[in-house]
Amino acid sequence: MTKPETTRRAVLGGAVAVAATTAGGLLLDAAPAAAAAATPAPAGLVSTDPLAHLLRRATFGPTPAALAEITKLGAAGWLDRQLAPAKIDDAALDALLTRLPLAGAGIATVRAKLPLHSYDGFGQLGRAAVARAIWSNRQLFETTAAFWANHLHVAAPSSDVWDSRTDYDASVIRKHAFGRFADLLKAAARHPAMLTYLDNRSSTKVLPNENYARELMELHTVGMKYSEADVQAAAKLLTGLTVGKDGTYTYAADKHATGAVRILGFSHANATAAGGEAAVLAFLDYLARHQATAERLATKLCVRFVADEAPPALVTKLAKVYLDNDTAIVPVLRALFTSPEFAASIGQKVRTPFEDLAATVRALGLGPEAEGVKALDALYNSLVNAGNAPFRWSPPNGFPDVAAAWASPSGFVLRCNSHLNLAAGWYPKQLTRPADLLKALVPSLPATYGALVDALAKRLIGTSLPADHVAAVLSVAGKLPTSPLTGNDKSVAGSLPYLVALVLDSPSFQVR
Amino acid sequence: MTAQACCDENRKLLSRRGLLGRGLAAGAAGALAGLVGEGLSTRMAFAAGGYSGDTLVVLSLRGGFDGLSAIAPIGDPEYYKARPAIALPKSQAIGGDAMFGLHPALAPLLPMWKGGSLAAVHAVGHPNPTRSHFAAMEEMERAAAGTSTRTGWLDRMLGMTGATGPLAGVSLGTAMPSRLFTGPSADISMATVDGLALAGESDKRPMAAALRKMYASAPTLLAAPAKAADSALTATAGLRATAYVPANGAAYPSTPLGAALRDVARLIKAKAGLAVAAVDCGDWDMHEGLGTAAKGQRMYDNLLETANALAAFAADLGPAGMANVTLLTVSEFGRRVAENGSRGADHGHGNAMLLMGGGVKGGKVYGKWPGLSAGALVAGDLAATTDYRAVIGEILQKRCGLGSLKDVFPDVAPASLGLAAAR
Repeated sequence: MTKPETTRRAVLGGAVAVAATTAGGLLLDAAPAAAAAATPAPAGLVSTDPLAHLLRRATFGPTPAALAEITKLGAAGWLDRQLAPAKIDDAALDALLTRLPLAGAGIATVRAKLPLHSYDGFGQLGRAAVARAIWSNRQLFETTAAFWANHLHVAAPSSDVWDSRTDYDASVIRKHAFGRFADLLKAAARHPAMLTYLDNRSSTKVLPNENYARELMELHTVGMKYSEADVQAAAKLLTGLTVGKDGTYTYAADKHATGAVRILGFSHANATAAGGEAAVLAFLDYLARHQATAERLATKLCVRFVADEAPPALVTKLAKVYLDNDTAIVPVLRALFTSPEFAASIGQKVRTPFEDLAATVRALGLGPEAEGVKALDALYNSLVNAGNAPFRWSPPNGFPDVAAAWASPSGFVLRCNSHLNLAAGWYPKQLTRPADLLKALVPSLPATYGALVDALAKRLIGTSLPADHVAAVLSVAGKLPTSPLTGNDKSVAGSLPYLVALVLDSPSFQVR
Repeated sequence: MTAQACCDENRKLLSRRGLLGRGLAAGAAGALAGLVGEGLSTRMAFAAGGYSGDTLVVLSLRGGFDGLSAIAPIGDPEYYKARPAIALPKSQAIGGDAMFGLHPALAPLLPMWKGGSLAAVHAVGHPNPTRSHFAAMEEMERAAAGTSTRTGWLDRMLGMTGATGPLAGVSLGTAMPSRLFTGPSADISMATVDGLALAGESDKRPMAAALRKMYASAPTLLAAPAKAADSALTATAGLRATAYVPANGAAYPSTPLGAALRDVARLIKAKAGLAVAAVDCGDWDMHEGLGTAAKGQRMYDNLLETANALAAFAADLGPAGMANVTLLTVSEFGRRVAENGSRGADHGHGNAMLLMGGGVKGGKVYGKWPGLSAGALVAGDLAATTDYRAVIGEILQKRCGLGSLKDVFPDVAPASLGLAAAR
């Protein structure tokens, strides 16, 4: 780790908690007006091919193999395949992940293998997320799992979930990522990582702790629809959901505050301590099926996959699909990716630093290191510096998912540096590289430098760059677009990393 | 208008503002058009001049700072009734007076308190409190309740100063942009000064020039950070050329806050044109284990770490440097007066602010103390008797040379607490 670890609730909001994740459903009303005032969508920078568009959104970055596959299967066939991830072979990734045995480890395993409060589980989990984003063949599953991890966020590293955070990833987020939200929410609520991160484990019937109750409503479900009385009633109701001595979830009836509750239109007699857990589960089911939850989730999915301003009609449609399918997630995703709003959203999302890094490694065709995890360490640490390492956002609202939150000078420089480091093979050195990067990217050498940059751009971005960008890229090689390129040109090899990096630095590559 | 409707309206405006984001940092024409009516024309009139006021350092204590621990009301018996497990015992308080005691973890700052360059204001708050971290932070950063203003207050303040250099407004310690700077005034965010360097750049391979050409006509959202990066790289090139050595033996703790304040001091001493710096200092959300005033307890450890960083900052700049610096703290809300069952405190309202600088009339706690009796509390929270913007307003007028505050804090009267000397 290159920086001091953050503790649990460190830097709430960071500098940035931008609208996507703030204040519940507010984004819905807010976004269109803001977008109109803020900036035109960066249209025209990327290919308008609908299949390429789908790949840019539903994966962590197009690759030649993915393009070939989607071209063969068509959009619907490709979606079908991606929505049934168990049938997709991912053996190479699975083999890589055996080097990170704690990434999905259960609580007992972590406790048995690590010293108390060790951060090693967090480290392996974060590196596994990087590896999955880059090299998994189950790309839509991975993008969706990342979405849910960010929605039901439990920061890692953060104190006290040292033993449970990896299990949370496996048994809550990944288990239910393509399941029903109601099940996902209930699994989160009965997991020690969530109960610890948001303090419910120490809540008592005499003095309830309000933290989880508030975020459960504000962040996980309905948004800012609650009153302070709702928070207090929910905090009371949630007492008893706690963590046992062995670190696993337990319901402690003796800690549960009984008595009738009314919360957001939900009411329950909550008459007995023994029945407290059932009352909580009924409340969670109520929240999961609430119209406001449906709209918030639809909005967040749109912000993730469609545009920073969620199209209102699509939100309405997806919310209905969500409720009609008893909170099942796959039908919502299918409706989203086949909607006209999605088709019309080409160029309207900008890559986060994490997406930029994953897309860069994928576009360059770099493979995992032959052994060990040094390259994964390096990739993870570069994301720490960019403020976007997996699970590392400290407050419970998750990383912001809109371009404005990431549009910083430092972030821009970090992206550019990462492009050159990866293109040149300077850092991390351990990644497996094509024997000849030029041949791998441009199999047959064109006649001019201009045509070379054009070929690089088509291969790396899927589209040509404007003529003035081509000229700008070539300026670092001291060449003009018309400069001839011959097989025995010695300078091309030396210039290649810079040319590749600048193509990846172009505005086009920032768009997904 | 009902309270709920009012809040909804506020939130809508807040979120719109949030989305405007950094795309506007360079002051694109489209952005400016969207902000007309927010005092922009007034602001532009100042823009020609230079800035000669204090460098203002805004330290955001994120998560909800417990002012009742930091500046504990040890003279209020209700304090001890409400917090039987976590109240600061009178015997452990340092500094202060009969009513207020400083938390012992603030000991590194005690010389400044006694020397009169550190003050506190108690019972400050927002006009429209919410206990949502995220809504409260937005409001704190926008600081224009009840208006359609969408910019951050530091952006508006920066615009008023007339400081226009590339390093006039800087967020340190994060690669992500600070929302305090949302709006048209140019600002940059840097994780660290040393970390801002473009790989591969050389005379032989002019990467920066190539990037400049590619982003010349890019959409604002993409172009603004690229252009700001370009300016910042140029402006900080000289700084990075030599390793920074703090003066006066100042020992910054190796924490994110220590590193960020070290870079703030570095920019100030380099006379890089820094008018306003924003720094985050997180981890104040202590629902659990806020604890007693002992090492290993969360409040103690956080306060000590913060105090060490602030003390190093003041030492590094020295009295002469600090004569032209005011640092102040803000937080989205204070914590509930009564402790919860987890040796912590849930989200509350009224809070304490700290102010540090050569122009601060320190050594005392300002503000009207409303008391902690049941009748004085507002929904279990410390009542706010002073608008936090009024406190900042007094600094802006006395130390930063601003006249009217109406374009920074609409509808706020500056406090006349007398907590700062006029420059």
